[in-house]
Amino acid sequence: MHQFRFLLGALALFIVADAHAQPNGQIQSSLVRITSTEVEPDYRAPWNSGSIGRGVGAGFVIDGKRILTNAHVVSNSRYLTVEREGDPNKYPATVLFVAHDCDLALLQVAAPNFWKDMKPLSFGGIPPLESTVSAYGYPIGGERMSVTTGIVSRIDFSLYTHSAIDSHLAIQISAQINPGNSGGPVMQNAKVVGVAFQGYSGDIAQGVAYMIPTPVIRRFLKDIEDGHYDRYVDLGITYSKLQNPAQRHYLGLKDDDRGILVGTVLDAGPCGKLLQTGDVMLAVDGHPIASDAFVEFEGERVQMPEVVERKFKGDSVKLDLLRNKQPMSIDVTLGTVWPYFMQAHSYDIRPRYVVYGGLLFQPMSLDLLQAYRITDLRVRHFFDFFVTEQIYLQHPEVVILTNVLPDPINTYLLPYKYGIVDEINGKKIGTLQDLARAFEQPADRFVVKMVGDGPPLVLDPKQVNAARERIKTRYNVLQEENLDEQPPAKPAVADKDKI
Amino acid sequence: MRTPVLFLVALLALVPLAEAKKAPVAVKKLAPSAQAAVQAKEVSLVRVNVTGQPYDYFRPWQKKAPFSKRALGAVLPNDRVLVTADLVSNQNYVELERAESGEKTAANVVVVDYEANLALIEPTDKNFLKGLQPLELALDTVVGDRLAAWQLEATGALVVTEGIVTTIGITRYPADVADFLTYRLSIPMQYRDNSYTVPLVKNNKLAALLLRYDPRSQVLDAIPAPIIAHFLKDAAGQKYQGFPSLGISFFPTRDPQLRAYAGETSKASGVYITSVEPGLPAAKAGLQPGDIVTAVADHDIDQNGNYVDSLYGKLGFGNLLTAKAYVGDSVALHVLREGKPLTLNVKLEHRAESDYVVPPYNIDDPPSYYVLGGLIFQELTRQYLKEWGSNWEKDAPQDFVYLDKFQSELFPEGKRHVVILSQVLPANSTIGYDDFSYLVVKKVNDKEIHSLADLAEAVKTPLNGFDVIQTVDDPKQLELDAAQVAAEADALQKNYGLPALQRLE
Repeated sequence: MHQFRFLLGALALFIVADAHAQPNGQIQSSLVRITSTEVEPDYRAPWNSGSIGRGVGAGFVIDGKRILTNAHVVSNSRYLTVEREGDPNKYPATVLFVAHDCDLALLQVAAPNFWKDMKPLSFGGIPPLESTVSAYGYPIGGERMSVTTGIVSRIDFSLYTHSAIDSHLAIQISAQINPGNSGGPVMQNAKVVGVAFQGYSGDIAQGVAYMIPTPVIRRFLKDIEDGHYDRYVDLGITYSKLQNPAQRHYLGLKDDDRGILVGTVLDAGPCGKLLQTGDVMLAVDGHPIASDAFVEFEGERVQMPEVVERKFKGDSVKLDLLRNKQPMSIDVTLGTVWPYFMQAHSYDIRPRYVVYGGLLFQPMSLDLLQAYRITDLRVRHFFDFFVTEQIYLQHPEVVILTNVLPDPINTYLLPYKYGIVDEINGKKIGTLQDLARAFEQPADRFVVKMVGDGPPLVLDPKQVNAARERIKTRYNVLQEENLDEQPPAKPAVADKDKI
Repeated sequence: MRTPVLFLVALLALVPLAEAKKAPVAVKKLAPSAQAAVQAKEVSLVRVNVTGQPYDYFRPWQKKAPFSKRALGAVLPNDRVLVTADLVSNQNYVELERAESGEKTAANVVVVDYEANLALIEPTDKNFLKGLQPLELALDTVVGDRLAAWQLEATGALVVTEGIVTTIGITRYPADVADFLTYRLSIPMQYRDNSYTVPLVKNNKLAALLLRYDPRSQVLDAIPAPIIAHFLKDAAGQKYQGFPSLGISFFPTRDPQLRAYAGETSKASGVYITSVEPGLPAAKAGLQPGDIVTAVADHDIDQNGNYVDSLYGKLGFGNLLTAKAYVGDSVALHVLREGKPLTLNVKLEHRAESDYVVPPYNIDDPPSYYVLGGLIFQELTRQYLKEWGSNWEKDAPQDFVYLDKFQSELFPEGKRHVVILSQVLPANSTIGYDDFSYLVVKKVNDKEIHSLADLAEAVKTPLNGFDVIQTVDDPKQLELDAAQVAAEADALQKNYGLPALQRLE
């Protein structure tokens, strides 16, 4: 359940509204409580619809009759309702936009009654260190709105755990935030300075709470202006610091503490044909890059990627380089780097799979590995090095035999479990689609070669066809394949005009 | 009449009494013969005290703190004592101790085979084992036999625990190189401080040596006499050869689809060859992946990889190439290739530990290393990976574990090692490199690096005054100022207390 993303610490306190209402205004007329009924996909029986659960989070009204909240509050939701302070009604809501890479979402509510007396909140900037902020939401411990205060403790890049791979600017605050605070506004001087979203409380540290700062929120709101969320863009490279004097001399650099060394350049990234391993990056959009990979940007010392973070798909960035000791400049048109997505949590999709002869084939993903708790060394290697060793070039999807549904036709095939499919009848298998197509070809037998030195897996299509109905019935396989990850259309939209 | 009756009663009463009184005498009387038996057993065992001191692969220039191991050795003919290789691994000092008198002498390791986990030691004092009855081997143990584990009390008295042989099969030995014949026993043994080597005895003959014991399930695996006999015969020769290895991987042919694909249409038999390592005996004989091996040395192989052994019945065919074959032997493999039968003659060889790309058990030999301006280079070995502890397969750097496990697949040509930049000692020449560790080295000064010797050679010719190190993963390249490295070498060595900046084999 998403509200338990916050490990339980001390219970949040209710504070008399008057004491804090003054500086931050009438927050009650902007705050909403969001209840989401979600369906978690079942990767181990992907033909099932999944398990149904419910979560509670917070959100707040912004301009344009929209509600801002966390992506994780509404992920995988099948039905959403919002409630206002002092109003007994529950209003159905729908997701307008969701950005899983920065854990933000926008909701809309069709019912005109809901918007009566609701006041949009406006955004502030980055609050200074040590300044006081207040967090509002519906954490566990009671039914009504809760407010807690604290100070700004740290401003730094942090991992956004919702996707598990994205790092953006995040602000650590000392206000208590707990499950149910997610998506609630963090206020200072009557302006939103952040959205409470994740925290940690446990053995190593206690009461560590984070909010999404306004640069990330503003970027999200700008990205969707064209009616589509395009995700964050990335250079698709790795780099190292250049602090060693001998290395600097070797590369022909001056003693000016500038420049970083380009390591891997992903073919699938925007720099694919433009950058080379061994290039030195000296500046990004004219901002000099220090040898520890920091740049001065809008008055702050931030890590180099922050300059790229603020940009959008299709924007360009100018990189000043030193290649073979020769200075040069390149313009890079930014885009997303798809191979990373495999290593991220995915939401609002239906797992893709093919069942053939009782063999379940699924593309590798973070969620798949976690569902099966796969420890197989080769599978782990393909996962860990999928991007950096560019395994995706041969295997855009790593198709794994994840299970064998036992039947007389496959009774000897269990040892092949967790094998990675490489070829079928001599044809390379790069995607699940390739595999589905290969099994549709007329053939006397299918010889499935797995990656590595193992034996081939041999199937007789005649036997497989004869066993199809038997296997489908025995294991209640409702559908033998799903090659399309789009979820079924949500009926919630139809409710628009009802209430 | 009365008196005789009384007498009779008295007599009747006396008889059991006398017998009861006699009983302890009888035991005492028995004792000498039992003692004689114990004596006979006692003389065929000696205590073996070993001080082991393994190399520290994280600091390859030094050894770890020494520690002691105690075990029992089985006295064999020619003043030799048999123990497990485990016991004498990384030994600094070995000592034999007579169980009864406590008399001690230093001993030398004559032969050690880490793959079969066996070692032979001999006392420096030639007369030390005098009067001890050497143990003969019992080669005829079968399932259902009772074997006695021999251990010693602190007093020198023998502790005998009997167990029953439940299974005889082929299992993986601790060096994780090959499968060998193993006896499995069910035995409620007390585990003592001398349990590194525990002899298992049948009719006062040595039947096996303890390999591993799980006190919870009371299951004991033992190195059986046939493996010991092979080891002893080999050790009696001019030069110890070791057990042969074919250099193949195989898979059962239980699946009729797989058999049909491989061209086997008749009965279910043989194993499917999944890989053949170049340069090793099977490859030299022409065996290919996809072949089905149906017979080895005139023994038919079934679809599970078993042959019928005259003593044990069904047994993994690996036994025909380990316990029953020697290096230099020629063994006939009957093969089905695309349905056509052919015979290949394999001349058996031992695969030396150093022939592996990632050597599996370089024990006793000091680890090689090369320190260049604070960068520490080593060759990747399993011994290095085992520094991460018993859970090393999970805890060690996963790309190294991957290189080890899939070495024959990743480096099919073999004949090389993997050089790694294992860690960085902060120094003036390595400023900014402190965070780098566990990197695989590709090239140094533009030369491909397949061994530490390659690296030592490559750094003799810097490029324009720089040593240029290329790594497989990020940062991809590091450079050192060759003159600075040379100038600071002494200070670095002193500062970190390194006895030498390199050790090459």
